[in-house]
Amino acid sequence: MQATFKVYRFDRETGGKPGFQSYALDLPEDATVLDGLFKIREEMDGSLGFRASCNRGLCGECTLRINRGGRLACITRIASVLTKDREVSVEPVRNVLVLKDLVYDVETLLWKKIKSVRPWLDPARPEPEREYVVPDEKLRPVRNAMKCYYCGLCDEGCSVIPFDKTFVGPAALTKAYRFVSDPRDGARAARLRALGEPRGIWDCVHCFEADEHCPRGIEPTQRIVDLRDAAVAAGIKSGTKNPQVARHYDSFAASVRKSGWLDEGRLALETWGVRRIFDLLPIAWRAFRRGKLPVPYRHPKRKGAERIARIFEKVQGKHS
Amino acid sequence: MRCAFYPGCVSRGGCPELYPSAIKVAARLGLELEELTDVGCNGAGVLSREVSDPINARTLAKAERLGLSTVMTICSTCTGVMGQANIKLREDPVYRASMNHEFLADEGLEYQGTISVKHLLWILNEDYGLDRLRTAVKRPLRGLKVSPFYGCYIRRPDAIVEGKPQRKQYLERVIEALGAEVVDFGGKGKCCGFPILTANETNSMAMVAAHTGEAKGKGADCMVTPCPLCHLNLDGSQPRAEAQKGEKIDLPILHLPQLIGLGLGFSPEELHMRRHIVSTRAVAETVRLLT
Repeated sequence: MQATFKVYRFDRETGGKPGFQSYALDLPEDATVLDGLFKIREEMDGSLGFRASCNRGLCGECTLRINRGGRLACITRIASVLTKDREVSVEPVRNVLVLKDLVYDVETLLWKKIKSVRPWLDPARPEPEREYVVPDEKLRPVRNAMKCYYCGLCDEGCSVIPFDKTFVGPAALTKAYRFVSDPRDGARAARLRALGEPRGIWDCVHCFEADEHCPRGIEPTQRIVDLRDAAVAAGIKSGTKNPQVARHYDSFAASVRKSGWLDEGRLALETWGVRRIFDLLPIAWRAFRRGKLPVPYRHPKRKGAERIARIFEKVQGKHS
Repeated sequence: MRCAFYPGCVSRGGCPELYPSAIKVAARLGLELEELTDVGCNGAGVLSREVSDPINARTLAKAERLGLSTVMTICSTCTGVMGQANIKLREDPVYRASMNHEFLADEGLEYQGTISVKHLLWILNEDYGLDRLRTAVKRPLRGLKVSPFYGCYIRRPDAIVEGKPQRKQYLERVIEALGAEVVDFGGKGKCCGFPILTANETNSMAMVAAHTGEAKGKGADCMVTPCPLCHLNLDGSQPRAEAQKGEKIDLPILHLPQLIGLGLGFSPEELHMRRHIVSTRAVAETVRLLT
């Protein structure tokens, strides 16, 4: 199989301008992108830097951006990504400090953020004399999150990070979920409060990109939604610096509970208050002129609304 | 084809142009819709699942009781949220039984797991057929350059496409079936930013500007979306996104039923295209020249 690899080259030590270098390769039909990189390094250019370890998708070491998508080089067959021009572009993932060619500082991708979620167990009570006994079922979600091998593909695929590098991201939130779910942990409420602050769980767009990118089947987006559900159930619906998030949730739930469906007018008013609504007047005026805002504004109760209210009551009853 | 119809809240709330457009288009195409009037909001990814799952189980049970097998939606978010709940209810009989027992039994309802939740977009591609759509087109939208924008919930997670990866190309296929030209762009499957409009408006606006700006830069006359929540942000927030970016974008955003409606011969007025925040006048004029 003929393929042209366009590989990102840069050396932080010697400086110079980063750029792509082309290598024409002839490889077996079932070759992986990592096979191609090894061939370049061993036969064409010994100066090429890249990271790899297990070569079979078990370690998460060779996370790269291949034809502009985050992938593990060792389990990505060239044939599956080849463009019409038979090209494969290989570069480091985005938003990282590149050290040499395809080698980047993983601290800037993951570790800094993972450290920020206190990734250690905070025992609920003094250490027992014997081991903790935890029912298997209660550890299942913990074990699922512990399958993470920190490849960083979820953060690479994240919809928010390209717009805001300070968003804590799905990898660190999955790590946080692992401790929030652990029955031995005693800092659950404190963790949920911290995760609710800006750049945390409420800044996630739940686009499910992370779930598509995760090679371990952990479904990081679903874990973030789990964290949000846990926060709501614990009555922690926002952090201290983003109280509008809690107001949004409460107003949304209250209108569905009252009428069966969402009252968007009420939601805007209760979330933002009159002052902020005032800022939005130019848009509101445009919407009114174009018939997008109904006047007079009405939000009638829908048939069966009392049944919806009953569902809310039953769920609330479970927590009281 | 007859299906239960779940219009969602926004098609009559923040996007009042969507519901009547969808009704007109469905009638013209001969889709028989039985509207579910006594069901609740599916939660839209906002309500916690312990509340939204039983609400959705109830909706699905109501559709099942009508003797129908499909619930049609006109919103990517409704499709995804209700669809994900449906997958869980269908695949986990223990969970379904607990929902039935705890929440539905006192109303005499039981969900047996026989319903498919499908967006109008999926129904057109999988059940109605694009050839049939092509023959229904009275005014081929020749020369109109349209960028597709899906909305996350109709593409991800993987389970939602139910083993049909081609669902990620349906919008392009419909644009082509209507005679218009597809202007492909990288942001078509990305997030519009609407879910964080409250939590982080700056990031949300940056997403709107990036996607609408990219499509415009590639030469699109307009963008079409099957999701009214994407529409609220891409259309409703576009002026604020422009202000944040310091750049004029001015890209009209159409709802899927509006674009189909134009192809079927409805006038822009009949499809309430004046109700948008970003003016659709240029699209309306292009379409008028076609008749």
